Amino acid sequence: MNKPRILVVEDEADIRRFLRLALEHEEMTVFEAGDALRARIDAASRQPDLIVLDLGLPDDDGKAVIRDVRGWSSAPIIVLSARDRESEKVAALEAGADDYLAKPFGVPELVARVRAQLRRANLTGDRGQASASVRFGDIEVNLATHEVHRRGDIVHLTPIEFRLLAALVRGQGRVLTYRQLLTDVWGPGYATRAHYVRVYMANLRQKLEEQPAQPRHLVTELQVGYRLAGIAESS
Amino acid sequence: MISHSALVPLRPFRYRVLVYATAACATTTGVAALLLRVFDLSNVVMLFLLTVMLVALRWGRAAGALAAVVAVGSFDFFFVPPVWSFHVSDTQYLFTFFLMLVVALVTGQLAARLRAEAVSAAAGERRANALAQVATDLSVAVRDEDIAEVCTSRIGPLFDGKASLLLPDRDDRIAPDGYGNSGIAQWVLEMGQPAGHGTATLPAHGATYLPLVTPLRTRGVLMLERSSTQALDADLAGLLRAFQSLIALAIERVHFVEVAHEAQLRMEGERLRNALLSAVSHDLRTPLTAIRGMAGMLGEGDVAQAIVIQADRMQRQIVNLLDAARLQGEGVRLDLQWHALDELVGAALAATGLGRRQIVVDIPPDMPLVQLDAILFERVLANLFDNAAKYTPDDATLYVCAELAGANLVLRIEDDGPGFPAGIDVNALFAEFARGTRESAVPGVGLGLALSRRIVEAHGGSISASRREPHGACFEVILAAEEPPTIDLEEPA
Repeated sequence: MNKPRILVVEDEADIRRFLRLALEHEEMTVFEAGDALRARIDAASRQPDLIVLDLGLPDDDGKAVIRDVRGWSSAPIIVLSARDRESEKVAALEAGADDYLAKPFGVPELVARVRAQLRRANLTGDRGQASASVRFGDIEVNLATHEVHRRGDIVHLTPIEFRLLAALVRGQGRVLTYRQLLTDVWGPGYATRAHYVRVYMANLRQKLEEQPAQPRHLVTELQVGYRLAGIAESS
Repeated sequence: MISHSALVPLRPFRYRVLVYATAACATTTGVAALLLRVFDLSNVVMLFLLTVMLVALRWGRAAGALAAVVAVGSFDFFFVPPVWSFHVSDTQYLFTFFLMLVVALVTGQLAARLRAEAVSAAAGERRANALAQVATDLSVAVRDEDIAEVCTSRIGPLFDGKASLLLPDRDDRIAPDGYGNSGIAQWVLEMGQPAGHGTATLPAHGATYLPLVTPLRTRGVLMLERSSTQALDADLAGLLRAFQSLIALAIERVHFVEVAHEAQLRMEGERLRNALLSAVSHDLRTPLTAIRGMAGMLGEGDVAQAIVIQADRMQRQIVNLLDAARLQGEGVRLDLQWHALDELVGAALAATGLGRRQIVVDIPPDMPLVQLDAILFERVLANLFDNAAKYTPDDATLYVCAELAGANLVLRIEDDGPGFPAGIDVNALFAEFARGTRESAVPGVGLGLALSRRIVEAHGGSISASRREPHGACFEVILAAEEPPTIDLEEPA
């Protein structure tokens, strides 16, 4: 299998260096860009499989780069952002980014996110839609039959609970913002009623998580949205 | 001492004018005696009428009336036969006297009125000029001092006295300033009623205190000390009222100019502060990200792990410091949304490294949503969990439980660690930069709890600490439980 090609867009040389070291250690090919102009050129010429993008670039807004790249590429984009910039994260995700990492982050965290996004891109990119059945932890979700099993026992979900779960499953580990989930599950008229998602997410956790207050799969991204973590690789 | 520009035209009635009138009549009599050698008696009557008119024009109504009577009397006494006597031989002269008296009185009164009107017109014009002048001066005033200057240099002389502006300080107190009595001025300010000389309150006082009332409030007091004790006439009182409102409006305008200026400064300061905090935040985070990341590249060794742990610790301190600095600014803006408490607890637990400690979460599934700023409230929880990680051994158990108690939501975070050191006031821990043990080996500047208290209080709640039996620490956060927004329930499947 070819080495995955990663484009790292970051204006701080030291951070760029450790990202390169960390990713090359994982048998990946890394290209570096220090500004938005270079990022646009490299994203077109190098054809990366994944882009790691810092939102605070010296010459342009990172979100503008995301929108441009999304115009012709479906390569996953992982955004690097400060902890206290929730609205910026949401804007980046809604512009087309797939995931984000809050600075400072650790190498294992970075590698895990990159691997998850590459896997997702492979599944949806090469083999089209993955199988209708998805497993995470001891939960199995069948998108075709609308059946959810936990340790082999059927779990009864309401239609909205299932639609919410299905949206997260289709996201394949992407962070989905409140707005994206609300429009997907309830419809555009509900886009600003974030408490709907919170209430139904609490119900889903009661039914699917071992410890609802310490979820392992239905993970909260505070003030941003939710992600489904720990999806098993389909065999 | 009367200033040349004083607007006090009412000269008190002086008896001297009557003497002048009599003297004028005597002179006329002398002249008439000379003229009588040439002219007829009937022409001499005209001379007396002219005198009466001139006297009335020059010295007013009363002098004119006196002159009319004296003129008729001397005409009778000196010129009508028999002369040197009031007796009249020809009775038709009685008719002449009567006509002469009537004509003299009427022309005299008309002339006097003409003069009075001219005088009052001139006074009115001077008042209008003075008003326009004061209005112009006040319109260019940009500070309270400018207004006070207009009062002393313009308004005082106009009323033949001393005028001063008394303004309250920030606590609405008028300071005694050498002039007058600040007690009366304070009363006038509070009641919005005039006091002192010429008013219903304390009329025996030497000065008059006038409130400067604007639509919103009384903004100050104008004190007028006049050298004359006579009351002002209606026109001048009206002029004084006009000055009062002009000054009040000027003070109000200056006040709002200052308010606008302060608001602008504050906004500018806030903007600068946020820009600075963002810059500091970015500049601290960037090297930390590099350090933490490169330490991660060093492998699984003890040194590398220690660097990662220290970098994380530093990161938490930076976050606390920046949040504290942000909250110190005026008007904390909370991003209030309806959140599930267990979700926030979960996010905070995921963000804190609690190692092997056991965590027991007991939040009822039917707990209503609470209105919170999630990012800030997560800081509170993360700080409390962080504390537990710092002050309890690795095998401790952490309990997180929530319940509804009446109109309140109570969140308790307890541990079975060693608890607080003996002899310290547990609630003093929330004071800025307090720590349980002095100079302990455990890092942190005690910022976490102070920040937590500030955040909880910004939410209208309270946070307290207590000792847990038999050992351990307990932190309790109390928030007001409100009615969450309704949710359209889905129809049963």
